[in-house]
Amino acid sequence: MTNTVRIIINDQTYDVPAGMNLVDAAKWYANDDIPVFCYHPKMEPVGMCRMCLVEMGTIEKDRATGQVVLDENGQSKVRWMPKLQTACTTTVSDGLVIRTQTQQVQDARQNVVEFLLTSHPLDCPICDKGGECPLQNLTMEHGPGVSRMAFSDKMRLDKHVPLGDLIFLDEERCIQCARCVRFQDEVVGDDVLAFHERGRSLQIITNSEPGFDTYFSGNTTDICPVGALTTADFRFGARPWELTEVPSICPHCPVGCNISLSTRLDRDFGGKTLIKRVMPRQNEQVNEIWICDKGRFGHHFSRSEDRLEDPLVRERSGRLFAKSWTDALAAAAEALKAAGSDVAAIAGSGMSNEDLWALRQLLAGLGSRRLGAWPPTHAGAEVVAQVGVGQGTNLGQLGRGDAVLVIASDLEEEAPIWRLRLKQAADRGAFLLVMNARPTRMDDFAAQTIHYETGEAVQALLALKDSDAWKQLAEAHNLVIVAGAEGLSLDGSRALAGAAANILLETEHVGKPNSGLLAVLPGANAMGLHYLGFTPAATLDIMQNPPKVLIVTQADLLLDDPTAAHWLAKVETIISLDLFASGLTQQLAAVALPIQSFAERDGSYVNGERRVQRFYTAQGPMGQALPAWQALSRLGEQLGQGTAKLSAAAVMVEIAQNVPAFAGVSFKELAKVERQYPDVGGKDLYYGGTAYRNRGGLGIQIPTAADQGQTVARFEAAADEPPKTRGKLVIVPSVRLYNRERTFRPSALVHARVPEAYAEINSADAKKLGIQDGDTVEIAIQNAPALRVRAHVNGGAPKGTVIVPRHLSDTAAPLAVTVGEVSKAEG
Amino acid sequence: MTHILLRGRDIPDIWKYDVYVENGGYEAFKKALSLEPKAVIDEVKASNLRGRGGAGFPTGVKWGFIPQSEPVKYVAVNADESETGTFKDREILETNPHQLIEGALICAWAIQATAVYIYLRGEFWDVAHELDKRIEEARRAGFVGQNIQGTGWSCEVYTHLGAGAYICGEESALLNSLEGKLGQPRVRPPFPAQKGGGLYGEPTVVNNVETLANVPWIITNGAAEYKKIGTEQSAGTKIFCVSGHVAKPGNYELPMGVTLRELLYEHAGGVPGGKAMKAILPSGGSGPIIPATDAVLDTPLTYEDMSKIGSILGSASIIVMDETVDITWVAAKVTKFFKHESCGKCTPCREGTYWLDKVLDRIMAGQAQVSDIELIDNVAKNMQGVTLCALGDFAANPIIYTIKNFRDDFMQHVQKADIKPASKARQAAPAGD
Amino acid sequence: MALSDKKYSQRIEAAFAKYPDKRSAVMPLLYLAQEEYGWVSPEGIQEVADLCDMDPTQVQSIAGFYTMYSEKPKGKYWLQVCTDLACALRGADEFYEELKAELGVEDGGTTEDGLFTVEHVMCLAACDKAPMLQCNFHFMENLDMDKMRAWIAEKRAEAAKAKK
Repeated sequence: MTNTVRIIINDQTYDVPAGMNLVDAAKWYANDDIPVFCYHPKMEPVGMCRMCLVEMGTIEKDRATGQVVLDENGQSKVRWMPKLQTACTTTVSDGLVIRTQTQQVQDARQNVVEFLLTSHPLDCPICDKGGECPLQNLTMEHGPGVSRMAFSDKMRLDKHVPLGDLIFLDEERCIQCARCVRFQDEVVGDDVLAFHERGRSLQIITNSEPGFDTYFSGNTTDICPVGALTTADFRFGARPWELTEVPSICPHCPVGCNISLSTRLDRDFGGKTLIKRVMPRQNEQVNEIWICDKGRFGHHFSRSEDRLEDPLVRERSGRLFAKSWTDALAAAAEALKAAGSDVAAIAGSGMSNEDLWALRQLLAGLGSRRLGAWPPTHAGAEVVAQVGVGQGTNLGQLGRGDAVLVIASDLEEEAPIWRLRLKQAADRGAFLLVMNARPTRMDDFAAQTIHYETGEAVQALLALKDSDAWKQLAEAHNLVIVAGAEGLSLDGSRALAGAAANILLETEHVGKPNSGLLAVLPGANAMGLHYLGFTPAATLDIMQNPPKVLIVTQADLLLDDPTAAHWLAKVETIISLDLFASGLTQQLAAVALPIQSFAERDGSYVNGERRVQRFYTAQGPMGQALPAWQALSRLGEQLGQGTAKLSAAAVMVEIAQNVPAFAGVSFKELAKVERQYPDVGGKDLYYGGTAYRNRGGLGIQIPTAADQGQTVARFEAAADEPPKTRGKLVIVPSVRLYNRERTFRPSALVHARVPEAYAEINSADAKKLGIQDGDTVEIAIQNAPALRVRAHVNGGAPKGTVIVPRHLSDTAAPLAVTVGEVSKAEG
Repeated sequence: MTHILLRGRDIPDIWKYDVYVENGGYEAFKKALSLEPKAVIDEVKASNLRGRGGAGFPTGVKWGFIPQSEPVKYVAVNADESETGTFKDREILETNPHQLIEGALICAWAIQATAVYIYLRGEFWDVAHELDKRIEEARRAGFVGQNIQGTGWSCEVYTHLGAGAYICGEESALLNSLEGKLGQPRVRPPFPAQKGGGLYGEPTVVNNVETLANVPWIITNGAAEYKKIGTEQSAGTKIFCVSGHVAKPGNYELPMGVTLRELLYEHAGGVPGGKAMKAILPSGGSGPIIPATDAVLDTPLTYEDMSKIGSILGSASIIVMDETVDITWVAAKVTKFFKHESCGKCTPCREGTYWLDKVLDRIMAGQAQVSDIELIDNVAKNMQGVTLCALGDFAANPIIYTIKNFRDDFMQHVQKADIKPASKARQAAPAGD
Repeated sequence: MALSDKKYSQRIEAAFAKYPDKRSAVMPLLYLAQEEYGWVSPEGIQEVADLCDMDPTQVQSIAGFYTMYSEKPKGKYWLQVCTDLACALRGADEFYEELKAELGVEDGGTTEDGLFTVEHVMCLAACDKAPMLQCNFHFMENLDMDKMRAWIAEKRAEAAKAKK
């Protein structure tokens, strides 16, 4: 129980938690919106803008007796402060009294608005923020109505300052609230924005190279209380009042950020509904009110030139021809019938639960249970299902007394919002231990960092017990272990998840909120793949024992795996359900069926924290594409498997009836929302910025076995055999957030930020091979074409190890850890 | 009288370590070291010494706020002397530096500080480099460093140079600046004396140079003797910086309670050229301007008496203006100063100083209307009492009080506007901004 | 890297030795960068950032806030004339106008020979010795134009001599 204190706001008494900020308390408990510009509920107060001035006093108590002193009317006597005080810098305390509606307060608000408007350009008619602008709103509510500032006295400043490729600054509109500066410093830890000069010359600058260098820059445009910061994506794109907000889920990583797709009917999209921008949607347990720039700017793939718009069938000539759905489905059905039960499926982690269920049902009808998850790089989902972070977990609650261990993951690149939230947990006092074979960004925020030998994550984890850090982990009130798979084989990653689970079991950090395992799985729905029976082990089996017919859904086999062409050669028929016309569809598919992206249809994902979350139809469809579940169940219909379902919601009903993890889940339940603290996204945009109120649902977190009170046995956690190098180098694929995947490449505005393909090579290895920093090198592994990349000899790679980021060029980088040779390329 | 602070006037070489010691230097510190820290604080409390930086807060009380239980504590010496018309600390630093060091060390002992940082304005470049040598002398004599005088207590003394920002004279901005941050004031509480509020978050006493330079005398002679100087509420001597239209501008260290008349006419030689005295700024640019009436001139220079005539003692930097001075020009000049020095953190000060300056430029150019006088008066009033630090009030004062006390000067400018709208006034606004 | 020059190492060490926190050394180190480059140049900013473990943006911010760091190249003699109220009452404005005219530059300008940069500044705590200025942070007090002309001539002669 938190202690409560009694405060009085406008003559009403409220009991509020001790230690709460007064602006927050007034809003939450008294429904009193104290206006603010600089204050933001997610950041420390600075008391700069002076908009939140209120009358403040304390109830007078007799020093000797401690009794409340009464006035002549028998009311408790209030000792008022002589000046107005800023509410934002006040923490509630017993006996605090404020008045927020008096003439004095109203005058002060009017004065601050007047001061802010003196040099403001008032160019609302051409401002992106117009219509959802805190300054505009507060001017209407509190402003003087007329200007006393001579127009000729106004400052003239630069209105087009690119802070980087993504964010523009309008110096005239900036009101120097420092929200953006403080966000970068406090929340993100990339303090690449600052004020320059002073007084009225104060301006936001960045001196970073490249400009405004962070994965979280877009959030500054949401919390900017004016139109000073705008994104290159949305700048001059639409007026806020034309937009319809559609709740959605970010399709890029396991965090599952709740987003809002701002859409309108658009001339540039054939009059169809078009996504104009992506905004964060509040879900305090998942992403609070933040999203990363990949989520914000990575929506263009949903309508890229490369989208597959028509069903295609490959004819004897080897050429693909567009067909009707009926003909294409017939062709697919024919191939499947001929194969009998010698059928397998590989599903990508961008598929929704409904798609996966339809695929699983299709194969079941054919007598096959070969359900592969793509990419087959990370085990651990099954361990998460047992001892994942407990129901009700909120990383935003981790702090002093708690501990977090991040191992074998470059979290900034793989799951940026987890990295952001765990950095803040460390700021709040949680013990953060980061373990990897190489330095990562997360090291910057760690209390302790352990760098182990490549591939020896499990050994390092087992060795923790004898280290100083052990006590911090074992005795922590809450412990979260975040396990990736970098540098590990699939078996290795399974062992790592198991070893992590064993620590959690041993230290009794399972089955309760804010403790447990988080696996950094690839893609948005890796946990959904697990719960619906798709496993990476099955994929490896398919790779070794190819079926006659392989159904591949939303998986970039050729671009993900350099050996794919080699093992796919043994498959007779490939049926591809894909968003894109390139890759597998173009090169190998016998039948290609166009499916809809997350933006065009309803569905649900299960995020890394096992939260089932619903997304809604936002954008107009591309060509003849259908939701995958629909295409698959129509294919089943062709095969006599019963009538196709009519809606994603109906598919979910069937999932809930058949898959225990989804018991009680329905689209209606997923859409439920409750009031969240802090209360952002209402009319008062000034409080939390333009992040959107959640109207699409908070989702349902699937309980772990431990949550359900089941006894969880210790896991097998035998350390992986280190790869036999035989004089070769260990090739460790890594993840870069900004890459050339087909789901990100169409976001042209980020192109400049995607690095040229490179590999990090240890200086000793480079010296031996005669390679210098910046040389072009070739990396050769078995059964794969050589990969040409730029060598980075910069201290990033441990000796004997080459770090090769995936998806930076059209040639696939190794999918999993392997061995290979590196040589300087000619010419 | 002999000087307590400006002892260089009596003993020109007292800045030298040997001469300082020959004249009783560091004896007060030794005496303090023989006392319990609390006894030192009590003595300073009893002396009624008040902060000489401008606010006049009782020094001993300030020291008493420091929580003794904290292992790390600091003394920050405010030598950021930047107020227009103030040049007293500089003279102490140049001519009697060891007395400041000694005072700071006594303070450090009283609060059991681990280090003293002397924050000098950047323009005191040479002063600071000389001071470093003086600190080195004190270190060699065993007054600075490890296990000072065998007490087991260690304390370092360092100088830190600012780089041109008036706001760093505000104590929390000074601490930010020392920490390598922008010199912008902090939200209080926590106050510098509290855990979390001081330098690097540790409890910190911030005292002005002149304040600390009084301390050795108090320890040596006792609080009772000190209180005999000055008045009951304003004990001791004060250095009055006199500048502007007087025959002999300079620093005058006199017991508090001396009247303005005595200071300005007897000591500073009165207004040259037989002109009449028109106005006085008694506390630099930031204090309320007052007309030089007989009543004002007969006011004793004490904290209590100056507030009675609607002004303040402040840092006692007295700028004198004779009858030829256009007070509108003064308002414009001082406003330029505050516009230049506003840190930009609080809206009213940042925007208000800019706005006032713009309108004053127009008034000075003869392009303003009567309503513009009401406008700046109102704008200035809207800046009062609503900012994090006092700079908002400081910037408002020159406008409010010049208009209140010298409205006719303003009216002359706007009346001209009716005749020759585009003409430039004689007193051009200061160049640039 | 120029602050890596041996001549700075002792002063850099001394700066870091003063404070419990590296960031606090940013102000003394910016002065060194200014000494090295004549202004706080981009190289200087980056070097100070590296030394203090700060983002260069933060270092630039510090350089921009404090007026004694020059973000533009300056003449050999940086003349900062106080034209604040107390000095102005003693003729500082007229002195400054004449000085600019003498050197043929505007406020903030640098003479063509690169010798003198002139700007007006706020109170320098020498109100009783006006007109006054600081030249490269050293006080020059109780000035008049005769003294200044002689001084300027002297500096020009020195520069001419050095050229030969």
